[in-house]
Amino acid sequence: MTTPTAPDSMYRNDEGLGIWEHRGKVAAVGVGHAPTSRRWDGRPETCVGAITIDALRKAIDDAGVAPDQIDGLVVVPVTTTGAFWEAGKPLPMDVIQSFNQTDDPLDGIAKLSAEWLLKNMPELTNVNFTMYGPGCMSNALNVTAQAVGDGLTHTCLVVKSWHNFEGRYYQGGANAGAALPGTPAITQLWGGPASYSTALQFAEYCRKYGKTHEMMAPFMENSRRNGLRFPEGYWAQHRPEELGPEDYLASRWIAKPANLFDNDIPIMMSGAYLFSTAERAADMKQKPVYILNHASSNTRPRSLLPTLDEVEADTARTGRKIYEGAGITADDLSFENMYDGFSLFHQFHLEGLGYRGIKFGEALDFYQTDISIEGPNPVSPSGGNVGSGRSRVWMHTDCIQQLQGRAGARQVTGVKPEVGVSGGPMPLGGNYTVWSASPD
Amino acid sequence: MTVLISFDIDGTLEVGDPPGPLTMDMVRLVREKEFLIGSCSDRTLSAQRAIWADHEIEVDFVVGKHMLPDVKAKFDADVYLHIGDREDLDRQYALKAGFDFLWPDEAVAHPHFQPDS
Repeated sequence: MTTPTAPDSMYRNDEGLGIWEHRGKVAAVGVGHAPTSRRWDGRPETCVGAITIDALRKAIDDAGVAPDQIDGLVVVPVTTTGAFWEAGKPLPMDVIQSFNQTDDPLDGIAKLSAEWLLKNMPELTNVNFTMYGPGCMSNALNVTAQAVGDGLTHTCLVVKSWHNFEGRYYQGGANAGAALPGTPAITQLWGGPASYSTALQFAEYCRKYGKTHEMMAPFMENSRRNGLRFPEGYWAQHRPEELGPEDYLASRWIAKPANLFDNDIPIMMSGAYLFSTAERAADMKQKPVYILNHASSNTRPRSLLPTLDEVEADTARTGRKIYEGAGITADDLSFENMYDGFSLFHQFHLEGLGYRGIKFGEALDFYQTDISIEGPNPVSPSGGNVGSGRSRVWMHTDCIQQLQGRAGARQVTGVKPEVGVSGGPMPLGGNYTVWSASPD
Repeated sequence: MTVLISFDIDGTLEVGDPPGPLTMDMVRLVREKEFLIGSCSDRTLSAQRAIWADHEIEVDFVVGKHMLPDVKAKFDADVYLHIGDREDLDRQYALKAGFDFLWPDEAVAHPHFQPDS
């Protein structure tokens, strides 16, 4: 079976599309996460392929579905955190030979194909739909929701995994070559840290609105607090360290005004979900969480980096698309789980949504109020990447678990969990999902 | 002679992630020699304090990677030494701040970490 990358027609990129045609007819049911680790230790049972299988099987079990009932699989094929298998480095043949292989020896180690997964999950006997959602889970969720809604699959797994190897990030891969093709030839020429464009936007934001980096501290503390209540996350599992204002503000600059903790920590992880039609989901083990809409931004900046003006215009446009397709307004959001890895752009997403009525330039003031899970205005109850490490997955898991009422110590208590929104990654260029406890 | 030693944690101390070759007993040894000691790490300040408290080792400072100049300004010593496992984040920062520098495996064999005869 050849697995295609999702075509543009599966995404809802434009305003004016109206209510999503499958609103409330697609549901997420099962959630599965593999244990996290800081870096791969070289063992077969902890390679990115193995942890992906673990996460998928947990999602299947969580949903209470027989594996032979699953007919779809959506995969994010890229798994790098910025760490690459160095050219010329000997292949780990013991690991490769521990699995059924594809024609790419690094499949399951430094990347992931649907073919590799199906070869190594023999219980998935009836999968006849596979597709790639490039980039991150936010993208793959849009693809999965649309595929289930369109009837391409009725019970579909979707998975995103990350590998992390020893060494420096973004020093390998294309960056290690003598030449870079296309736009990266200019944007990456000087080797700026990955967060530098966000840092520039944030610096301009502070100048424009008279804000400071110090005003991020409550958000960071709250996010880590929520993350330490996320048992699937890295910090909760390995280093239960809080991130108070002194800790955050004493950290060194990576790309001023982005400091170390404004950059998420790369980890090994895998997260998976089981989606189905609303009808089928009604008979599964967990409470269905209905998809009210998915929306995307494919806006390209005018120049090398998006300006603050472009960021604000596009996050506002994204907010309108999110609400339009879901048939809701900002007032209907119980909580928000927009992306935060880099933390300095979370407020762009928040302001684009108009969450709790905030306008551009007001989010950092909003952070100085009660944004906890116990309050009336929960911000990032998942804790995001700040709270649990680089994955771009926690926000989605949290939406599902909050609306199922099984977020545990992280459960929002200041609001009734009815509708949530999650997605990212970047303010320009992202994919978003609106989740609901009810199909209506 | 007053010696000040700054320890990186991850990849340097046995309690780091990854663990390094310097044991906490070695740290206790230089503490007993009345060296000024502390940690200089990308770990949060509160996490650094927690590590030392968990091992009941009293330290003179905990700082971030970029704060060695502050340490040198605050403490009067004859020797300033930083021990770490990274070229960019340990050795370069240390030398720039006017510290001597040792890799962790060099430090283990250094006379500072041997009992006084």
